[in-house]
Amino acid sequence: MKKMSNIHIKTAVSNIRRSPFQAIAAAFVLSLTFFVVTTLAILVYSSNKILYYFETRPQIIAFLKDSVTSESVSALQEKLAGDVRIKDVNYVSKEEALGIYKKATADNPLLSELVSPTIFPASLEFSVKELSFAKDIIEEVKKDPIVDQVGFTASLGPENTLQDTVERLKTIVWYLKIGGGAFVLVLTASSFLVLLVIVSMRLTTRREEIEILDLVGATSRFIKSPIIIEAIIYTLIGVILGWLISIILTLYISPSLISYFKEIPVLPIDTLKLFGLFGIILLGEIVIGISLAIAGSQLAVSRARKV
Amino acid sequence: MLKIKNLTKSFGNIIALSDISFDVKSGEFIFITGPSGSGKTTLLRLILRDLLPDKGEILLDDIEITKIDKKDIPALRQQIGVVFQDFKVLPERTLRENVEIALAILGVEQDKWHDRVDGVLKMVGLDTRSELFPSQLSGGELQRVSLARALVVNPKLILADEPTGNLDWETADKMMDLFEKINKEGKTIIIASHHEGIIDKMGKRVVKLEKGKLTDHKSKAK
Repeated sequence: MKKMSNIHIKTAVSNIRRSPFQAIAAAFVLSLTFFVVTTLAILVYSSNKILYYFETRPQIIAFLKDSVTSESVSALQEKLAGDVRIKDVNYVSKEEALGIYKKATADNPLLSELVSPTIFPASLEFSVKELSFAKDIIEEVKKDPIVDQVGFTASLGPENTLQDTVERLKTIVWYLKIGGGAFVLVLTASSFLVLLVIVSMRLTTRREEIEILDLVGATSRFIKSPIIIEAIIYTLIGVILGWLISIILTLYISPSLISYFKEIPVLPIDTLKLFGLFGIILLGEIVIGISLAIAGSQLAVSRARKV
Repeated sequence: MLKIKNLTKSFGNIIALSDISFDVKSGEFIFITGPSGSGKTTLLRLILRDLLPDKGEILLDDIEITKIDKKDIPALRQQIGVVFQDFKVLPERTLRENVEIALAILGVEQDKWHDRVDGVLKMVGLDTRSELFPSQLSGGELQRVSLARALVVNPKLILADEPTGNLDWETADKMMDLFEKINKEGKTIIIASHHEGIIDKMGKRVVKLEKGKLTDHKSKAK
């Protein structure tokens, strides 16, 4: 079996050598397609990470009244922790709140010297599993007798713009997925057609050879194999080139991206995880590419003749 | 070995073969002769299952060729060695590769190719030219490549369609000596030829066709 495939690989490679310009055209179009696919995959990954970051970071802070007992705080904390819509409930004491304040004003010691823990309220911080739950939960928490006020993290803006911010982000991600998907679809269709045309041209030039092979008892599989292998070679070159260019560009701009987005993990910071992500994209593209090559060459062969 | 029964084939209004019947025994050497258009090539194409008859049967070792599945045609053809008038060699492969391809089709392991190919190339007298391409060979040599490819798979039956059609007398004579030698080794050979001189010289059984009909069926004395 292995030796049989050797002869098919040899035939495919010699066919590519015979028509180098067709091979270059096919590899170029496929590279372009897989460059866009890789770039889009990274963009979708990053935008999902941004969305996830905003959706899951601690967003709601319930500031507690000064007079509350530790029992009533524990009761509210347990109640929130038991709510399926809520996650990561943390109690922040007055002292801890002062610590946070001091850390935030570290570059201006005068500001922190003037304050004492008593002026900071204790609070319960938590995030919601989906931002659509936020509004109802805020209303419910506000009604609790030990809660003084309910606030949001500053980056998300005031309460009434919270939903808008997230909706905007969701819309951007949606357009990215749909627009990018449509673009990839057009490029994939073009690549498929290019493969189809090149395989058909190859079949035309090999018509006599195919006829001879058929007459001397070659099976349909024997005749098709070099043609399919040739299409797979074009696709693999396209996948690897497109992926490589996109990855080099991503690695080139990633320091700027990471410094711009700061704590938002748009790309994995760990090198192993980053290359793991690139590896998964490459693997997916190889599977898509090979399927494309097999489908394109099979269609071309079946249209060209009854092999 | 081969039984042809009431075989009829037409292309539109043209009757290529009409009610042909004859048998070929294992190890026999026969000529199918007749003028151009008499149906010789059609008959060979029917045996090779390159065409289907309108009526009649073709039995090769009791297997009805006309009724086998399309997917089984390659297996049938792998049992038959074919030599074509126009050689039908692969122009972009060396002589050795042209012969090897038949073994690849048959699924013979690659480490056995070399000896088998060398053997048949020696038999047809091309062992010193194995690395040449078809464009570097003469018509007679190309015909011997075609024969070597047919022989290397050790077929039950060899069909040759006008194997001397493109050759001069001397080369044709040598080609026939080769067929004779192969036949003596036990191979069944059917040659379609209108080369009366060669047929007379060989003195084999002759099936004569004229306008698609079997007109004569006899053995000739050498």
